[in-house]
Amino acid sequence: MIISLFAASVVLSLLAGTLSIMLRARDAVAKGVGCWMGAAAAALSLVAGFAAMVGEGARASMPFLFPFAAFTVQLNPLEGVLVCVISVLALVAFVYGLSYFDEYPGKVGRACMFMNYFVASMLLVITADNAFWFLVFFELMSLTSYFLVTLEENPSSIKGGLTYLVMAHIGFVMIMMSFLVMSVKAGSFEFSAFRTLDLSPALASVCFVLAFFGFGAKAGIIPLHSWLPQAHPEAPSNVSALMSGGMIKIGVFGIVKVGVDLLGASGAQLWWGLLVLVVGAVSSVLGVVFALAEHDVKRLLAYHSVENIGIILLGVGVCLIGSAMGNLVLAGLGLVAALYHTVNHAMFKGELFLGAGALLYSVKTRNMELMGGLVRRMPWTAGCFLIGALAISAIPPLNGFASEWLTYQSLFEAAFLGGRVPMVFAVLAAVALAITGSLAVTCFVKAYGVSFSGAPRSQAAAEAREVPLPMVVSQVLLAAICVALGLGAPLFVPVMAHVASFTMGAPAIVAADGAAIQNAISGTAVSTPLIAVLLAVGALVAVVAVRCFAKGLAPKTEDPWACGYGSETSMEPVATSFASDVSMFLSPLYRLREVCTAACWGVAHFFQKATGLARWMEPQLDRYLVDDVAHGVDVLGGLAQRIMSGRMGAYVAYIVVAFVVFLVLAVIL
Amino acid sequence: MSVFLAILQVVIVTLVAPLISGATRLIRAKMHSRKGSDVFQDYRDIAKLMTRQEVRSNTSSFVARVMPVLYFAVMVVLACGIPMITIASPVPLLGDIITVIYLLALSRFFFSLAAVDTSSAYAGRGGLRELIVGVLVEPTMLLALFAAALVAGSTNMGAMGLAVATGAVSAPVATFLAAVAFALACYVELGKVPFDMAEAEQELQEGPLAEYSGPSLALLKLSMSMKQVIVVSWFLAIFFPFGAAATLNFGTFLLGIVAWCLKVAVAFAVCAVVENSVMRTRYKLLGTQTWAIFGVSVLSFAFLIVGV
Repeated sequence: MIISLFAASVVLSLLAGTLSIMLRARDAVAKGVGCWMGAAAAALSLVAGFAAMVGEGARASMPFLFPFAAFTVQLNPLEGVLVCVISVLALVAFVYGLSYFDEYPGKVGRACMFMNYFVASMLLVITADNAFWFLVFFELMSLTSYFLVTLEENPSSIKGGLTYLVMAHIGFVMIMMSFLVMSVKAGSFEFSAFRTLDLSPALASVCFVLAFFGFGAKAGIIPLHSWLPQAHPEAPSNVSALMSGGMIKIGVFGIVKVGVDLLGASGAQLWWGLLVLVVGAVSSVLGVVFALAEHDVKRLLAYHSVENIGIILLGVGVCLIGSAMGNLVLAGLGLVAALYHTVNHAMFKGELFLGAGALLYSVKTRNMELMGGLVRRMPWTAGCFLIGALAISAIPPLNGFASEWLTYQSLFEAAFLGGRVPMVFAVLAAVALAITGSLAVTCFVKAYGVSFSGAPRSQAAAEAREVPLPMVVSQVLLAAICVALGLGAPLFVPVMAHVASFTMGAPAIVAADGAAIQNAISGTAVSTPLIAVLLAVGALVAVVAVRCFAKGLAPKTEDPWACGYGSETSMEPVATSFASDVSMFLSPLYRLREVCTAACWGVAHFFQKATGLARWMEPQLDRYLVDDVAHGVDVLGGLAQRIMSGRMGAYVAYIVVAFVVFLVLAVIL
Repeated sequence: MSVFLAILQVVIVTLVAPLISGATRLIRAKMHSRKGSDVFQDYRDIAKLMTRQEVRSNTSSFVARVMPVLYFAVMVVLACGIPMITIASPVPLLGDIITVIYLLALSRFFFSLAAVDTSSAYAGRGGLRELIVGVLVEPTMLLALFAAALVAGSTNMGAMGLAVATGAVSAPVATFLAAVAFALACYVELGKVPFDMAEAEQELQEGPLAEYSGPSLALLKLSMSMKQVIVVSWFLAIFFPFGAAATLNFGTFLLGIVAWCLKVAVAFAVCAVVENSVMRTRYKLLGTQTWAIFGVSVLSFAFLIVGV
């Protein structure tokens, strides 16, 4: 049932993609077919994913095309979570596209085709339970998204796309090597055979580290993140939402799948968890630090994806530490935190990218310095963006807070139960998370404040209009989900706990108690609905008090105070004000970026050198074998040139002469 | 019972807060050799502001209007969750240290965003500085609290306070250093000299208020005084819970109230003396001070690892 729904969704996606490219001549038709059918497919897979998430798993297998690799699909709860995330994002992205694709005249058919194929390949990567098919769909996912990144075909998008393609393939190669090692040992490409493998710790570590960095490149962990801020901003905004909210989660999914699921029988090593914690901590802090320096709203959001992947990895790290220690409750706590943050990040990052797309649609720029005052022009976009900004800053009672609270709790328990070495790592990771949290607040006060508050700083911003209905609807939908996942955390966290315990084969984890989410080990809890109710009561008291005491004079409005001078828009705080202050206090981290970027260039340079070497090697053989021949040909060519005058008449004359000569020869012989 | 206690805490904090800020002003005046107004001046200020007309920046939006109300609401939530009279939190579901840190982040988010929203250069500057202070202080707070929580085995303030009150701490030196680091971090959070100059408006703490007037300003002044009481109570609940009621009966309840009042009064007196005996630090040099405080919390963590 689940599998057939899922299959129907994939088939519908493929059909939608194919039809929209066939109808490309007429943008409106291609858009309607591609987006509506895509949305319908996403709705189907959402149902399948949800059923899988709360259920006990389903799988199907059939021989297909290749004798060595059966086409196996598995929809266990873990896969279900990812399918749900991708489906929700795809659904709103297609609805959003109904208006947003008007910005791409002549390319709508292509965009719809690649987007549908992209969604289908993501769904298939998640559910494929065979290493060969997994890699095939992984590659398809990279390729289809590459074409979406380069849709605009301008120099920056081509450059961003190329960086993305190179990084995606570096990751791909590492994942492939990891899978090949396992498949050689297992004698089969089936993941079910991998799961029973009992590898030696050294070999298991090789597989894990290769997979971690391979999937990490897709997820955008810090040393391998450089493609994110280049590629995501170039794609159409709804595709950015799908990539940043959905696709990079497949990287996290892969890490969990390999570390917890496939290598489960071999057993996790403690240092895997520590490695993941360190990478997560570094990614989260540096991601937000770099985001703060950005003026381009989509680049800012892309860097925040690096940050949030880091936060998710903190939970994954605790999960691995827990399984290495044999403490499945601790491991479950970490996995619950990671999974819930995965879901939450997909929702609020999707919302924020759609908001950024709305800004781009209305103001025609991604530069926040040229916006300002948009809350009056675009109230719906502003409201939704504010909710997204609050959620990503982990402000209670929204969803980001719920999952970061769980992350803190899992780090605390890892430190408390793990002995000295995990304690040092876990506590430092918690400090990194605290720095990240406070910087994220700063960054999103900046992002919202500079774009939506104050006075408009350009003509376009002063004349901006609210975006069309489909774009508003999709933003409102994601913002509402953010609120629901926050207030409803006591309902949703137990679902994640079910997924975690199913994935690890652990006993049930008690992650909620009534209207509160709780730390299953220490029992400390927090109730997001209670916070919301009390905030509402407190606000009500304040409003009533003001009504009672105040004399009810109508407020008047004035220019902002400027020490007696006339107030001007140029006096407003802008993105640079934030960036300069932060860089003053955190300058070492920005210097670090220069070092990192230099290192990245070093890697790129290494490849350049490698190709350079190959280019130098190649002609060495030629010099001795081919060059003499080529030289001879050259000489002949030079001679030939003498008689090649380029005049039509001369050639005709040659032909006539040759004809006569041959004729004479034929007669003589 | 705990509901009653929570409501009582909110009422006490709301009513006492202006008294404490008034007393602080009086101490400052005395130390400056001024006569100063009496301790009830802040009540009169708030009452007067309530009746005044509100003047708003013409570029401000709903964020600036909502902020004072929301700020007050956050203080109400915090006053419910932080143990004051008892050792355990009246509402354990709000009594987690992570929750407190992020509720403070909620107030900071809107406080700073409202400042940017008014598009006044001074307010914006102040809002930004408020955020930077948060960035510099929050890691220290968390590390110190985590060290103390690891000693107690839970991140719930009630459990942490109980461990300190009963002396059941495995690493006393580490706990003491965590207390020092957290006290210093709270002091920065209070926004007092050397980290801020409250009289000089357009500065850190009051700067974002530049565009507020009338009832909104009254509400904000009240809420900001409440925040000071709450932050001090937060420190006391975890590291100095002595006198607070472990089990609730009439006697321990009265003792708890008296003990809390005394502790808060002493804490603010100490703060006032420190505040008026030091020079204000340059904003740009704030980082060096906060690094020193962070160093103390790292030291506490190091002692924790060693186990003393």
